[in-house]
Amino acid sequence: MSSKKIRLGGTALAMIGLVWLGVVYWMSFFWVSTEVTQGVAQRIFYVHVPAAWTSFLAFGLAALTSAMYLWLRDERLDRAAVSAAEGGMVFATIMLATGPLWGKIAWGTYWTWEPRLTLTLLLWFIFLGYFLVRSSTENPEKGKRHAAVVAIVGALDIPFIHLSVIWFRSLHPEPVVIKAEGPTLPGDMLATLLMSLGAFTALFLGLFLLRYSLENLRAELDTRSRHASV
Amino acid sequence: MNRNESLCGLLSVITLLVSAITLSAQEISELPGAQLAAQGLGRPYWHVFIAYAIAIGLVFFWVVSIGRRLSQIEKKLGN
Amino acid sequence: MRNYFAQIGAILWKDLRVELRTRERLITMGAFAVLAAILFNYATDRVGVSHEDIAAGLVWMTIVFAGLLGVGRTFHLEAEDGALQGILLSPVPKDAIFLAKALSNFVLLYIVALLVVAVFMLFFGLEVGSSAGMIALVIGLGVLGFVALGTLFSAISTGTRMGETLLPVLVFPLLAPVVIYGTSATSQFLAGRPVTEAEGSIKMLAAFALMALFAGSWLFRFVVED
Repeated sequence: MSSKKIRLGGTALAMIGLVWLGVVYWMSFFWVSTEVTQGVAQRIFYVHVPAAWTSFLAFGLAALTSAMYLWLRDERLDRAAVSAAEGGMVFATIMLATGPLWGKIAWGTYWTWEPRLTLTLLLWFIFLGYFLVRSSTENPEKGKRHAAVVAIVGALDIPFIHLSVIWFRSLHPEPVVIKAEGPTLPGDMLATLLMSLGAFTALFLGLFLLRYSLENLRAELDTRSRHASV
Repeated sequence: MNRNESLCGLLSVITLLVSAITLSAQEISELPGAQLAAQGLGRPYWHVFIAYAIAIGLVFFWVVSIGRRLSQIEKKLGN
Repeated sequence: MRNYFAQIGAILWKDLRVELRTRERLITMGAFAVLAAILFNYATDRVGVSHEDIAAGLVWMTIVFAGLLGVGRTFHLEAEDGALQGILLSPVPKDAIFLAKALSNFVLLYIVALLVVAVFMLFFGLEVGSSAGMIALVIGLGVLGFVALGTLFSAISTGTRMGETLLPVLVFPLLAPVVIYGTSATSQFLAGRPVTEAEGSIKMLAAFALMALFAGSWLFRFVVED
C-alpha cells in the first residue's frame, strides 16, 4: 500500500472513530439504563473497559511487530511497533485515569491493588522504558533493536505479572461479557459496551495508521538529508 | 493543501463533539434534584464527567500531537 | 556441547577472578545491605509492627536494590577498556556470553543475598531454624530470575545516555512477580509454615527464572550486535 493510501485510510478511520465515539457518548449519557447497585458511576465502565481493551491490543501489536522486526529487519515493522506503543500509552493512561474514578465510588478508595489495574500500570511503565531506551540510545539503529527487546521481554513477563497480581489480591468485578454461560450484562448495557469497543478500536486503528505514515515521512526526511549531505 | 483541509475537518468534528458533551453535561445536571437524591448519588456525576472528559481529552491530545508533527515534517519535506 | 560449557566456564571464571582481585562489587553490595538493614531498623516502628511480619519484604527489597547496584555494572569495566568488543568478536556464541555473565552476577548476588538474610537474623532476631534450606532455595530462584533480566537490561542501559539510572525503570516493573512470590514464600518459611504452603510460589519463581534465562540468552544477540 502506498504511503498516501495509508494516510487517507487513517484519516477516514479516525474520523469514523471520532463520530462513532460521539454516538457512544450520547448512548452512555442518555440512552443506556442506569445500573441498579452502582448507580450512575457504573457508566464509567463504557470508557474504562474499551480503553483497557484498546491498550492491550496496541501493546500486543507493538510486541508482535517488535519480535517480527528483530526477525525480518524490515524498517516498516519498527515504525508500526513505535506507533502502536504510543497508542497503547494513550489508551492505558485513559484506563488508569478512569479506573480510580470509578473505584472511588464502587470501592470507596481511589487505588486498590486490583490485579488488572496493577497490570496495566506496570505495562505503562514497561512501555515508558521502551520509549526511554529508544530516545536515549546514542545509535538510533541500536535504539530500535534495544526497544524491541524491551517490548518482547515485557510481553513474555505479562503472564507472570498477571498471575502474581491476581494471586496477591482480587477485588475486581468478574468479567461480565466473555463467560462460559454467555454475557450476563443486560442488553442495552451490552450494546453500549460493544459500540464503545468498536469506536475505540476504530479510533486507535485510524490514529495508528496516521502515526505510522508520520514515521514513514520521518524516514523519508532522513534519507533525503543523508543524500543532501553526501 | 488537501491534508490541511482534512485536518481542519477533523478538528471541527472534535469541537462539535466537545460542545455536545458539555451541553449534555448541563442537561444532566439540570435533572430534578429529587431524582438525584433518590439515588443518593449526587457526587458520582462528577466522577463520570471527569472520566469521560479525560478519555476524550487524551484522544484529542493524541490527534493534535500527530497532526502537529505531520505538518512540521511536511514543511521540512517541502523545502 | 562440552565446548559450549567450557566457554561459559572460561568467561565465568574470568569475571569471578576480576571480582576476587578488586572486590569492588561485593564490598559495595555487602556494605549497602548492612547499611540498609540499619536504616530499616530506624524506619520501622518496633512497637506497632513486629519485625517478623515485615522482615521478608525488607529482605527482598534490600536484595533487589543491592542487586541493581551490582548488576548495573556488569558491562561497565569491559565497556570502559573496550574488552567487550573483544569478547563479542570471539567465536563464542552470544548466548554463552550471556549465560556466563548472568551466572557470575548470580554468584555475587547470591552471596550478598545470603549475607542480607544473615544480617537481618542478627539485627532483628529472626528465627530461620529448620527451614534455612528452603529459604536459601527461594532466594536462589528469585535471584536467578533477577540476574537474568538484570544482565540483559544492563547491556541495554550501558549503551544509553542515561546509563545505570535507566536500569530500575526497565527492570522494576518486570520484577513484580519475583518480589510477590519471593516475599510470600520467605515469610511463610519465617513463620514456620510447612513446605506445601509455599510450593506454588516456589514453582512460579522457578518458572520465572527459566523464562528470564531463556529470554535473555535468546535476545542478548540483538542487544550486542553492531
